[in-house]
Amino acid sequence: MHEEALFRDLRAKLVEVAELERATSIRRAVIWIGALSHVNEEHLREEWTEIIRGTPAEGARLDVEVSEDPADSRSSSLVLRSVDVASAEAER
Amino acid sequence: MTERTVRVEYLARVEGEGALTVRVRDGSVENVELRIWEPPRFFEAFLRGRAYGEAPDITARICGICPVAYQMSACHAIERALGLEVPRALRDLRRLLYCGEWIESHALHIYLLHAPDFLGYPDAIRLAKDHPEAVATGLALKKAGNALLTLLGGREIHPVNVRVGGFYRVPTREELSPLEPVLEDAFLAAERTARFAAGLAFPKVEEDYEFVALRAPDGYPMNEGEIVSSRGLRIPQERFEEEFEEVQVPYSHALQSRRRGGGPYLVGALARYALNRDRLPPRTQHLVAEVGLEPEVRNPHRSILVRSVEVAFACEEALRLLRSYGPPDRAWVEPPDGFAGGVGRAVTEAPRGILYHRYDLGADGRIREAKIVPPTSQNQSQIEADVRHVVVGAIDRPDPELADACERAIRNHDPCISCATHFLKLEVDRG
Repeated sequence: MHEEALFRDLRAKLVEVAELERATSIRRAVIWIGALSHVNEEHLREEWTEIIRGTPAEGARLDVEVSEDPADSRSSSLVLRSVDVASAEAER
Repeated sequence: MTERTVRVEYLARVEGEGALTVRVRDGSVENVELRIWEPPRFFEAFLRGRAYGEAPDITARICGICPVAYQMSACHAIERALGLEVPRALRDLRRLLYCGEWIESHALHIYLLHAPDFLGYPDAIRLAKDHPEAVATGLALKKAGNALLTLLGGREIHPVNVRVGGFYRVPTREELSPLEPVLEDAFLAAERTARFAAGLAFPKVEEDYEFVALRAPDGYPMNEGEIVSSRGLRIPQERFEEEFEEVQVPYSHALQSRRRGGGPYLVGALARYALNRDRLPPRTQHLVAEVGLEPEVRNPHRSILVRSVEVAFACEEALRLLRSYGPPDRAWVEPPDGFAGGVGRAVTEAPRGILYHRYDLGADGRIREAKIVPPTSQNQSQIEADVRHVVVGAIDRPDPELADACERAIRNHDPCISCATHFLKLEVDRG
């Protein structure tokens, strides 16, 4: 259940970033997974298609960075580090 | 078409695990369902097979805001099963610890979760920009409550010094004395809080609550007393399950409670105040008169004012206990020999309302079965009814405004649910 809420939050953030950046689409997302996070890479990849379905990030490539440092202050978290966005020239 | 990389560095959060579904047909509200998706946490199952001495520490982890409440109800219930009498001095020290929790929990609810609603801010961070003095008062109160928890409980969150029979260690007079000026300042801050709350503009609402709280022979209730209600119920704590039941509704993971054969009821500050206002000590009584608090508050928005009065009470009571403190002879008492197993039940007043624990212990001192009914689940059904009234009165308003009004109705009662539903997902099915 926590995973579902976490993924919904991630999805909302992707949509928000796309709007802020006036992006026509998100091509790639880089997500960092803390060493103590209850979500692992396999689980995130399994859910990725559902997370991005119907958003500007639909079809985006997912790159995952997995931390092995439990002492990191974000070690129990999931961090959306960056996205590659595409925008129409005229809008910029 | 251009492509570029945007640095985001966004920490994904577990929030918004609540939703409100409203079904409207022909302009009238047919159904309102408050869905809480937080899954069961299985604490009652974790407790099975554990030694009874572990229960206060395990159950404290249920809540980071009110861990003392879980420790108190666990200790009292187990002590009843063991036939263990805890002396007055240790009971007073428990009451002092509970005062600390009421102060820090209520301060959090008042200033960080509830006040922004009345002043038109989305949260306390943005409130602090324009009203730094209000947030500073809230944080100072929280710090005073935490100081009590740290000294008596060993640390401010999930204290570790509480045990069945008393405490692992009791403080000296010299250790407690420095807290007197801290609590005196906190009382003055609570007075300012009540005056501030009294000046807020409250929506006009009147709910027909059945209030349920403890009522003790003397003093405003915390650890002791019978269960009483505004509709004439008066029973010993042991009969809680005969009068109240938990029910599972198909649309929510959180259990709801109701009177057996009856409907929702309300626990917490409004209920305690309505049923025990005559038990408030003199300085707090004076404050009640000064801010013009009515004998029974049935407007849930005004709970911020009642909570402020309870903070003042907890400070005044803590000062009384601090000034009369003499270290008990023993930090804890052992149970009598020859325990053959048995069941113990207890109710104490958590900041959000009565908290029930039942333990069935084997002769070996291990827990065979545990039952815990927190105030959050007891109020769930009544909160749903409150939200329904809000929806009926505001169904023509746009969804974002309606969602905001519903969130406020929830935050009137419960900081825990409001944490989970600060981004309430509203689904209005208008047919």
